[in-house]
Amino acid sequence: MPKRIIGTIMLTMTLMLGGCSLPGLGGASGDSVRIGTLGTSESQIMGQMIRQLIEHYTELEVVMVNNLGSSVVQHQAMTEDQVDITATRYTGTDLAGALGMEPVKDPDEAMKIVQREFAKRWDQKWFDSYGFDNSYAFTVSKEFAEEYQLETVSDLEAIAADVRFGVDNSWIQRAGDGYPGFIEEYEFEFPNIFPMQIGLVYQALANDEMDVVLAYTSDGRIAAFDLQILEDDKQFFPPYDTSLVANNAILEEHPELEGILQKLSGKIDTEKMQQLNYEADGNLQEPAVVARNFLEEHHYFEEAE
Amino acid sequence: MQLIQDLIVYYADNAWYVWEQFYRQFLMAAYGVLFGAIVGIPLGILIARYNKLSPWVLSLANIIQTIPALAMLSVLMLVMGLGPNTVVFSLFLYSLLPIIKNTYTGIRNVDHALLESGKAMGMTKFQVLRMVELPLALSVIMAGLRTAVVVTIGVATIGTFIGAGGLGDIIIRGTNATDGTAIILAGAIPTALMAIIADALFGWLERKLTPGKKKKGIFSQDEATV
Repeated sequence: MPKRIIGTIMLTMTLMLGGCSLPGLGGASGDSVRIGTLGTSESQIMGQMIRQLIEHYTELEVVMVNNLGSSVVQHQAMTEDQVDITATRYTGTDLAGALGMEPVKDPDEAMKIVQREFAKRWDQKWFDSYGFDNSYAFTVSKEFAEEYQLETVSDLEAIAADVRFGVDNSWIQRAGDGYPGFIEEYEFEFPNIFPMQIGLVYQALANDEMDVVLAYTSDGRIAAFDLQILEDDKQFFPPYDTSLVANNAILEEHPELEGILQKLSGKIDTEKMQQLNYEADGNLQEPAVVARNFLEEHHYFEEAE
Repeated sequence: MQLIQDLIVYYADNAWYVWEQFYRQFLMAAYGVLFGAIVGIPLGILIARYNKLSPWVLSLANIIQTIPALAMLSVLMLVMGLGPNTVVFSLFLYSLLPIIKNTYTGIRNVDHALLESGKAMGMTKFQVLRMVELPLALSVIMAGLRTAVVVTIGVATIGTFIGAGGLGDIIIRGTNATDGTAIILAGAIPTALMAIIADALFGWLERKLTPGKKKKGIFSQDEATV
C-alpha cells in the first residue's frame, strides 16, 4: 500500500514535470528554439552565435542545452525531439556514427551524402558547412618529434608500446573512425591509452604528462603551444566539415529561421575557428562573449533595425 | 595572485552570465526541495501516525539516497529527457529522505502528555496535529529541509551533464580551457556560497521556530545559549 502511494506520486510528478516547464527554468514552452551543443568550446561558440542571431532577428526564445556528451547524443537528442538545432555536426563523424556508413574521403561527396540521408531518414536539414573542418590529428611536442624523428602516424609504430597516449573519451569506442578502426588500418596499438576530456590533452602534452595525444585540428592551442601534428599517411581520418543541423519541423514552424541559420555558412575558415577557440580556451573568454565579438566585428547585427 | 586577478576579470566580464547560472541553479534546488516538502512532509506525518508504514517508507527513501547522483540523472534522463525538469525531479528524490525522516522524528518525539492533554481539551485529531504536533516538530522539520537544501544545491551542479545549465556549466568550461582554474573557481565559489548561505538561513529559521522561544522567562536559559 505505501509503495502504491509512492508509485502514484512519482508517476504524477514525472508526468507533470515531463509535460510542462517550471517558471524561471525555461523548457518546452511554445515559442522557443532549443539548441544543443557539445562540451567543447567550439561547439558552444557556434551555439552561441546561432542563439544570438536568432534572438537578434526574431522574437523567439532560445534555450541552450549544453554539454551533450558526443555527436551520438546530439543526434539522439534531435531524433527524440529534445532539441531543435544542433550547433556542430561533423560530416565524418555522422557518416560513421549516425548513418553507420563507410567513411568517405572526398569532402564534397561526404557532405552530399549526409545532406541527402539526414533529410530522408530523419527529416532534418543539414546546412552547408561553416567553412572549417575539425579533424583528429596525432599530435606531439616539437622536441618529442625531433628526438624520435616523427613525421607521420606510421612512425609511431616503433615506439607505440612505450608512449603515453591521451585521447578524447568518445574516440575509443566509436565506430568507423575510432580506435578499433585505427588499429585495423595502422595495425598497431597503444597499450598505455588515457581517455580524458578533449580540452585537457593540449596541456597534458605541453606539461610532458602525455607523449602523444589525439588533438582537434581546429583547436587554437596546437599553434599556441607550438605542437607538431603528425601526418595521417594512410588517410585514416575522413573529412570533418562542420555544419549545423536543424529539424525540418522547426524550420516549417518558423520559416524565417532558415535564412538566419544560413548566414553563417561558409563564413568561418579553419584558421578563424582556431583563433576563436583560442579566445575561449587560452584567454578564458566565455563562448558567448567570443561569439558576440565575432558577430559584431563582421556586422551581423546591422541589417535589422 | 594571477589566479585572483583572472577570477576578478572573469567576474567583471561575465557578471550577468554568472548571475543567470546562479539563479538557475538556485531555482532547480529550490523546486526540488519544494516538491520534496510537498510530498515528504505529509508522508512523514502519515508514517508517524501509522507507524507500521514507517520502515517501508524510510528504507525506500534510504535506498533512493544511496543511488549515485550521476547514475540517477542518467537513468532519469532516459525516461524524462534532457533539461532542467529531469534535474528537478532527481533533486526532489534526494530531498525526500531528510524531509520524511525529520518530519517523522519530529512528530514522534512530541511529548505524549501534551497529546493527551490536547485530547482531553476536546481537540480533534486534526487540531492536535495543527496546534500541538506541528508547532512542536517544526524546528526538526526545518532541520530536515536545511539538509535537503544543502544536498540539492551540490547535486544540481552536475545537471550540466544533461543540458540543464547552472553553475556546473561554468565549471565544465573551466576544465576545457587551458589554465582554467580561475573559471573552475568562478563556478565553484558561488556554488559553495549558495550552500553556505542557504544553510545559515535555514539554521536561523530553525532557531526561530524552536518551540518555547517566545515565552520569555520560562525558557530564558535556553535563549541565552543560542
